[in-house]
Amino acid sequence: MGGGNAPSVTLRFISWKPDHPRVWEEALSEFTKTHPDISVVRELAPHSSTAYHDLLTQKLKNRDATVDVFFMDVIWVPEFAEAGWARRLDERFTPAMREEFLPATIEVTRYSDHLYGVPSRIDAGLLYYRSDLLTKYGFSPPATWDELARQAETIVAGERRNNPTLRGYTAQFKQYEGLVCTMLEFIDGHSGSLLTADGTHSTLAQPEAMAAVQFVRERVIGRLASRAALTYQEPESLSVFLQGHAVFHRNWPYAWELANNRTRSTVAGQVAVMPLPGFTPGRTAAALGGWLYGISAYSEHPDEAWALIEFLSSQAMQKKFTQEAGIAPSRQALFSDPDLLAAAPQLRNHFAVLRSATARPRSPLYPAISHLLQRYFSRALAIDDLDLAQEATAADAQINRLLSLGEQVP
Amino acid sequence: MNRRLLLALGILATVGLSLLPFLWFVLTSFKSQGEIEAAPPAWWPSGSLGFYRSALFDHHLFDYMLNSVVVAGATTLLALLLAIPAAYALARLTIPGKQGILAVLLCVSMFPQMAIAGPVWRLLDTIGGLNHRWGVVLPYVALTLPLAIWILASFFKELPPELEDAARVDGCGPWATLFRITLPLATPGIFTAAILILIYAWNEFFFALLILTQPEQQTLPVGIALFQGEFTMPWGELAAASVVATLPLIVVVLLCQRWIVSGLSAGAVKG
Amino acid sequence: MNRASSILRHRENLAAWTMVAPALLVTMVFALYPVLDSLWLSLHNIYIGLPQLGSPFVGLDNYVALLRDPVAQQALAVTLAFVVLSTLLELACGLIIALVIHERFRGRGLVRAAILIPWAIPTVVASQLWRYIFNDQYGFANLLLFGEQVTDYIPWLAYPSVAFGIVVLADVWKTSSFAALLVLAGLQVIPDDLYDAARVDGATARQRFWHITLPLLKPALLLALLFRTMDAFRVFDLVFVMTQGGPGDATQVLQFYGYQTLFTEGRIGYGSAVSVAVFLIILALSLTYLRAIGSSLLERRRT
Repeated sequence: MGGGNAPSVTLRFISWKPDHPRVWEEALSEFTKTHPDISVVRELAPHSSTAYHDLLTQKLKNRDATVDVFFMDVIWVPEFAEAGWARRLDERFTPAMREEFLPATIEVTRYSDHLYGVPSRIDAGLLYYRSDLLTKYGFSPPATWDELARQAETIVAGERRNNPTLRGYTAQFKQYEGLVCTMLEFIDGHSGSLLTADGTHSTLAQPEAMAAVQFVRERVIGRLASRAALTYQEPESLSVFLQGHAVFHRNWPYAWELANNRTRSTVAGQVAVMPLPGFTPGRTAAALGGWLYGISAYSEHPDEAWALIEFLSSQAMQKKFTQEAGIAPSRQALFSDPDLLAAAPQLRNHFAVLRSATARPRSPLYPAISHLLQRYFSRALAIDDLDLAQEATAADAQINRLLSLGEQVP
Repeated sequence: MNRRLLLALGILATVGLSLLPFLWFVLTSFKSQGEIEAAPPAWWPSGSLGFYRSALFDHHLFDYMLNSVVVAGATTLLALLLAIPAAYALARLTIPGKQGILAVLLCVSMFPQMAIAGPVWRLLDTIGGLNHRWGVVLPYVALTLPLAIWILASFFKELPPELEDAARVDGCGPWATLFRITLPLATPGIFTAAILILIYAWNEFFFALLILTQPEQQTLPVGIALFQGEFTMPWGELAAASVVATLPLIVVVLLCQRWIVSGLSAGAVKG
Repeated sequence: MNRASSILRHRENLAAWTMVAPALLVTMVFALYPVLDSLWLSLHNIYIGLPQLGSPFVGLDNYVALLRDPVAQQALAVTLAFVVLSTLLELACGLIIALVIHERFRGRGLVRAAILIPWAIPTVVASQLWRYIFNDQYGFANLLLFGEQVTDYIPWLAYPSVAFGIVVLADVWKTSSFAALLVLAGLQVIPDDLYDAARVDGATARQRFWHITLPLLKPALLLALLFRTMDAFRVFDLVFVMTQGGPGDATQVLQFYGYQTLFTEGRIGYGSAVSVAVFLIILALSLTYLRAIGSSLLERRRT
């Protein structure tokens, strides 16, 4: 890679396989051009957050010194911090540097007063909708879920003749990590939560959380959305929207670029985006997601690793990634960059949405908690004759048992 | 007459059910994204080769195939090399604790593979096998050996012992007897074992995913699993890749089916 | 025993050991050691995310917890249903396939190759194939059944029991040919004169099948049953790719649960216990089968 004089340090950078490999290749080759003494080897994992997590942690569990820089989901920070896998970046990532990023994106890298990553992209759930259809029926964007459901019913009924497969809504309800995000948004919109504020107890069996789950169970699955949504992750649900089979669609910021890409989308130019509603007017909800760069605790080249991270998260690179790959930046200045706002108007909302976005439980045992949540939600939505209260209480008890483990720690 | 009709129906059902799902994938591979995702989807493709181009060139399918050929080939050779003498000894020679060895081999082949992934990973890390193709070959060999030894041993048992006894009387040692007398007779059994090992190594996903994380070494199942992008379901690329990846095995199966079938029949089972 | 024969015996013993040793060594290092390691881990309490807990020895606590774990109970029930359904269907299909390709007809070679194709497709790819076929919008199953009537299209994988059925179907499709090969081998060693004698006695084709073919196929069927059960109990790729255990835990099998606890959740001790439990169940089943097959297959001699 390094041309004439051989690079003295080889950095290994692991991530999932990106959808825009060319952008990454260009970025990394530019890095090796400006840092001729460093070469970068890419390692690739499957694109699901969970599958990638399992592969990466398998390496870290075994103290693999051949991983230097890794891409890290925001939900992994507590686990990686407690397990000692991610280096603390308090000194390298100086307060002055942090100020250039959105505060919410810095918060997710923090765990018990230390920073473990540099934000690459920060995501929050958004509501996409067919502006042409809402205009046609004289609706303004819905303020609550009830209003959304009413609008959708009217539009679906009115369009039945020329678009019989049109449904009101599509989102991710498969039994996987994304289900936690989708359901968290409903629960949050109903003033409920997954855990108590101190994070020590489950609140799934509280009336607010149960009412939100009940709403999805009775009014969304098989009604507002096709029952097929129980099998949807992001790509499948987005495809339904892009094919013009849904009025409303929940997804992350990247969907904007694809929804308006004329080669991929049949609804390009007829799509608008807004914060996800809640159950009372004025309330919005968004699950917080996103990816950070971290340095492995077992890396033998932390200085070079830091140089790579600094380069990849620089203003210029973030702008490149936003422009060419449609992903939301984490640097404040870019949100007022006229080039970017023209290309990606969904970012206008991002400031406000991110400020109020809700994080998933921040615990080193999050993967186990998430599995229990996924099971509970999926059972609640997929099984017809099910006692919701009983199911919620059982999930509550299981999660509480897990959480109490964390407290036994001396 | 009745019997012939039944047979014709049987052939049709067998071939149809085996191939129909795969044929749908073949059709898909020549479609455009629009033809795939429309509701209803198009029956017949417009004949686009875009997914083949994307699978072969953007996703480096040939590299994955080459890796798979190397890994599966090396696994098969190495496993046979180790299994043949072991199976012969267990079938024909007196070894103290033979029953124990057989029991251990059988147990090992029953253990859930993911449970041993951690220790295998650490072992490979120690000897520097991670991110090398031979790093997956070693566990593959270890995991296919029990089955291979089992099949080969039961096959050797079925061979008439008279020839070997004669050779023994003429002063041939066990190794010479194995190579000069038994092996030539045993080709069908060896073929059976070989195809089982080959298909295992060709299909294996889990160890390959953990051990090979650089695209230069990744095998087909892992490579194809990596097609799944962040934003879209790559059905077309997946279909094109499966068609291309299945071709060599179809050729191997067509060439070898005579041996596979007679091999199993001659050896493995007799009441 | 004279000196010469004792030397000969000694030489043969040595040769026998040098023949077995390399294979045994590789198996020991790469399979047996890891198995023992995971047995040992299953007796400890280890949470990757809570290193402060250390890794205390807890004896059989993980196994006791496993017995009380509702998710594990659900997974065991699903796994058992999967094993029973898939192995029985695979044996039935394998028997039919074997009977067909045992017949002599033109193009038999091509038919044999065709039935081996599903076996040769990597499981991760086959799983995607079936997920695609049962897609709710553009799946082949819907197209075949409902054609242009898109409003009738069924979201197959969204119904718990249907999703489970599809996982079974995919497994049957993928591995019936394996069973077929073993059954075919059994068919080929049934002597023709048995059929001739039966024909002379006036037995119908059906009688010949029930009274000659099936009883004589018993060992082959049991062998196929043994191999398939061992494999079906460890089903993982299909669930991992197609359903991730959903919807509503309907396809949550033990192996996938073991994977989740071991790899995703980092509960090393508990996850190992799940794997050991799977192993013990397979072991018990295999012993039962082996007893049913009769003596150990390896000890049989041609008579």
